[in-house]
Amino acid sequence: MALPLPPGLTPPEIAFLCEMELVTVIPRQRLEGLELLGGRIKPLNPPHRTNIPLWLALLLKRQRRANILPPAWLNAHSLNAILDHEIEHEDTFSPPPRLPPQPSNNTLPTSPPFLANNTADAAPDALPYHWLELGEMLLEAASDDFEEPDNVRKLLRDLREVRMAKLRKSADVLDAGGGFQMNGVGGMEVGESRSFVTGVIDGLRKIAASREQQRKDREREELENGYSGTAGDYDDDEMDMQ
Amino acid sequence: MSSYYDIDAILTDAQKVPCTFELTVPGLGFLEGNMSGDMKQGSKVELPLWLGEMLALSQSLNTSSLVTLDPPSALSPRVLNALKADPRTVDLRALAPHFYDLGARILELFEEEEMIEVLSDTFKARAAVIADQAHNPRGALGEGADFMRGLDENERQLFRAAHDSAKAVRTWMTDLKQK
Repeated sequence: MALPLPPGLTPPEIAFLCEMELVTVIPRQRLEGLELLGGRIKPLNPPHRTNIPLWLALLLKRQRRANILPPAWLNAHSLNAILDHEIEHEDTFSPPPRLPPQPSNNTLPTSPPFLANNTADAAPDALPYHWLELGEMLLEAASDDFEEPDNVRKLLRDLREVRMAKLRKSADVLDAGGGFQMNGVGGMEVGESRSFVTGVIDGLRKIAASREQQRKDREREELENGYSGTAGDYDDDEMDMQ
Repeated sequence: MSSYYDIDAILTDAQKVPCTFELTVPGLGFLEGNMSGDMKQGSKVELPLWLGEMLALSQSLNTSSLVTLDPPSALSPRVLNALKADPRTVDLRALAPHFYDLGARILELFEEEEMIEVLSDTFKARAAVIADQAHNPRGALGEGADFMRGLDENERQLFRAAHDSAKAVRTWMTDLKQK
């Protein structure tokens, strides 16, 4: 009857999206430019650094044709600083990287994976959207390109634990009118917590459904009786509930 | 609101609520186990929610309703006070397998602001524990076993959802290593 997949994206799908992120590689062999549907990939000329999509970087790494330069935030020093920030601020997540200035006012803001958040010269003090996926994949495929891979792996685990605990705590403040600030939450974390958070909201709405119904009835009555004072509020509330 | 074929909604409707008959009904004695007799005025019977609701809401010609509904024992003040004291220690499953659904249905019939508050707070407090248990590999077996047995059907689904998504991420990470 229903699709076997839950709503939202599965972890392999999120990882697949992450593979479009640009990472910096140091090629060991020449490779001519590739004309791909996703865009042109510049020719690789050792020893010049080039930014290429993660999937190609992983492929070249496995064939020992390139070394991957880990992004600036993916080292023990930066991760330690971010972890301290996470522990210090109990209610918020560490902020995402700043958006680059937009070329003009009427362009839409760019989002990952079209931001160069994972190249060697990215911001060192912020976790990008695909931090967990990218970190895990790089540590798996290119651990010899890290200075201290075990330390980095441990820090990634710590960060994940701290942030998931915060997401779980969000259940206390989720309510019909409540909100929870999720700025800076990564793609894999959203995917992991989606079913729990929506489940809590659904449950709470089911319990409070009768109160909601009463309120709507009362407001409809007031509307019909000609008290138009709350008419504007009524429309606003309707939007909130959808 | 919910689907006609929703098995949880059907099971919720089948839960018993105490009803008091306001009129003497001839030939309805079988509800009490009295096969051929009449239903006496003032007799208290446990009826399924769907039947009790129908009888309570249907208005006969003389406009007095046939039965009056009372909140079921699962939602009695005693239980609500226990939930206010500590939501985590109450065995909701023993009270009613579909505790929250039953609460929502009862709240459609009675206006009880306080019950909404208590149920919402209970659900929130227990959801936090459920999330912790779902992410803890030994949670459902070790010290959390008693709590897990006391989950109502909604909470079980929540646990399953949280557990499955955590497991999916773990599976993805181990798959990564095998490549």
